Amino acid sequence: MAADRPCFPTSIHRSTPNAIRLNRALRMSRRDALLGAFGAAVVVTGSRQGMAATAEQDTVVPLFMALSQRLTDRDTLDPRIGNALYAGIIHAVPERRDQIQKLHDFMAGGNFTSAHALAAAAEHQDPVFKAVIQDILTGWYRGLADHKVVVYRSALMFDITKDAIYPKTYATGGPFYWTQTPPEVAVPTGEPALSPSKLVIEPT
Amino acid sequence: MPSEQDLSADVVIVGSGVAGSSIANELARAGISVIVLEAGPRVDRQHFVENFRNLENKPSYQGPFPAVPWARHPPDQVTPNDYLHTTGPDAEAYQQVYLRMMGGTTWHWAGCAWRYLPSDFELKTRYGQGRDWALKYDDLEPFYYQAEVMMGVCGPDPKVEDLGSPRRQPYPMDALPISYAAQQFRKLIGEKTPYRVVHEPQARNTRPYDSRPTCEGHNNCMPICPIGAMYNGSYSVYHAEAAGAKFVPNAVVYRIERDSANKRVTAVHYYDPDKGSHRVTGKYFVIAAHCIETAKLMLFSADEQSPDGIANSSGHVGRNMMDHTGVQVSFISGDKALWPGRGPLETNVIDNFRDGDWRNERGAYLVHMVDDNQVDLATQLAIAKGYVGRELEEQIRYLASHTVRLFSHNEGLADPDNRLTLSKTNKDILGIPHPEVYYKLPEYTVKSCEHTRGLFRDLIGLMHGTDEEWTPGYFPQDHPAGSTIMGTDPKDSVVDGFCRTHDHENLFIASSSVFSSVGTGNITLTVAALALRVADTLKKELAHA
Repeated sequence: MAADRPCFPTSIHRSTPNAIRLNRALRMSRRDALLGAFGAAVVVTGSRQGMAATAEQDTVVPLFMALSQRLTDRDTLDPRIGNALYAGIIHAVPERRDQIQKLHDFMAGGNFTSAHALAAAAEHQDPVFKAVIQDILTGWYRGLADHKVVVYRSALMFDITKDAIYPKTYATGGPFYWTQTPPEVAVPTGEPALSPSKLVIEPT
Repeated sequence: MPSEQDLSADVVIVGSGVAGSSIANELARAGISVIVLEAGPRVDRQHFVENFRNLENKPSYQGPFPAVPWARHPPDQVTPNDYLHTTGPDAEAYQQVYLRMMGGTTWHWAGCAWRYLPSDFELKTRYGQGRDWALKYDDLEPFYYQAEVMMGVCGPDPKVEDLGSPRRQPYPMDALPISYAAQQFRKLIGEKTPYRVVHEPQARNTRPYDSRPTCEGHNNCMPICPIGAMYNGSYSVYHAEAAGAKFVPNAVVYRIERDSANKRVTAVHYYDPDKGSHRVTGKYFVIAAHCIETAKLMLFSADEQSPDGIANSSGHVGRNMMDHTGVQVSFISGDKALWPGRGPLETNVIDNFRDGDWRNERGAYLVHMVDDNQVDLATQLAIAKGYVGRELEEQIRYLASHTVRLFSHNEGLADPDNRLTLSKTNKDILGIPHPEVYYKLPEYTVKSCEHTRGLFRDLIGLMHGTDEEWTPGYFPQDHPAGSTIMGTDPKDSVVDGFCRTHDHENLFIASSSVFSSVGTGNITLTVAALALRVADTLKKELAHA
């Protein structure tokens, strides 16, 4: 018979004279997630470059930001969020650092006036750029990198829908705001730039 | 941990969910001493909210509630599962999730507070299917109202919108105003079909109630209401404690001790997380540990006196596992923007298929148009389709405002072959086996689901829908029932109409495990009503004692 292996020390309750301390041990904190991502990024960049680098000091970060602005068709993006997203992305897939650099070189070598133009050409140039682009977009729009939440409320998906809807747990419209008529949305006319991928819905 | 000498009460309750905590509250307020033993830990709301906000997979109902090793619960609805092991031809249709922690699984319910219909209690008599309960709707009606007052249920005026369950009192609160999306859906169904969309009764505040605020529409009833506008079992825990009931967290009951005649329970034994054993004595005992864990405990307590398990002379403990099987589809509406996800999650229902003469052939069902925020799913979908930049943002807005999700609760049926047993291959760190469930969908339920699929196809057409995504097969709605089934005959049932076990005169069960049929409405209000009836019985018997 296979016995469960403890998911964390089973003696944890001994150090919990009150419920609050147990609660602290059981929860996942955003700070833990962010610090974990940054810490790991330091290890990766440090070992690869032979210096005690931090994510902020990584020379690829400005390239990541420039790419992000082009791929979102936006002039400004929050650099603090960019730093954290970059750290998460290269922690999850260390090869992404070089790939981001190469994608930036590709962008710099052309005259791409839109995200669509850059993405379509980049995938044609090297299929791996598609995954790099989708990591970057997932980071900015969903607020995720390395399977962790980097930002929630500040994810761009909520910025572009804020005239209609609130991020879950952050509604501020007052009781029964939901009875009001939300904005109409026109049928989009734009085309995809990248080849389609299969979407795997995570289980409930 | 308290010493053994301290652990004795008039009534000992196993489980602190809505059933156990509401009984504790009633008894404690009547001056009766109560101990409640909860297998899981005590955790506060704000930590669950923080966990949710930091969760990558936001639709994961279990995600914000990590289990402790001494009180495991299913991590998700994935088969094979790390804890609830399902087998049989429809194993995936019984991959339930639930919580083992103070307050129970209502931490992540949607607050849907349906009364069952009178016919649900007489399925065999009226339709020749399944089984009758050992009580009638009228027996439960006063306790339904008591449960609605306890939880704070809002619902429609029956003179305006009759939901089919006769009421002697109005709902404690006015119905929740439905969202713009639900208003449009209701209008469409009313104009284009012979059906109707009704307000769903909900344990959700439409005004300040029981020291809790009015719902603000955070759209996160599942997995966690961030402000406590929706009732959950933890509020009954707080009230019970204020009235003097004692709750012991991290107390995993593993044995039910009886007297030499095997007629009365004398004590329950529990492990603390270090596997230290404690004995708790009492005059009456209530097992209120969720349908699956209740049956597991009774089977694991088997000994020489009861080799097949406690209260199991009928052999029906662990049998007759039921659920509301679900059919689900998402699609993109071709009509005006709906922007689902503004307001609470589940507010409206097509109720035309909850009852009818056809129940002699196929199961009943109800349909939810789920008012779920689709922004994250829309973003995933738009990125997967290959959109970037401005075009990506257009797609996100369009998909988030036009995605519609429908799902159903389809009626299960008691079948003794659908059975919970103790796993022979997996046990937890305390040495207690994991639960295992064999499940084959009753033909009655399959026919019901087929009817639902037809209705959904019609509705997709009415809404000029495209991009249909049907959830494959059948999925569980986490409303397990039947594992200690109610009946009048001790030979084929475990408890009587008062939820007292046939075999042990001072042992009661308060759980959906006693349901003889499962109807269509969410099970929690009926669980609470049955529990309050148990409390009423105990108060009377202890008063006479």
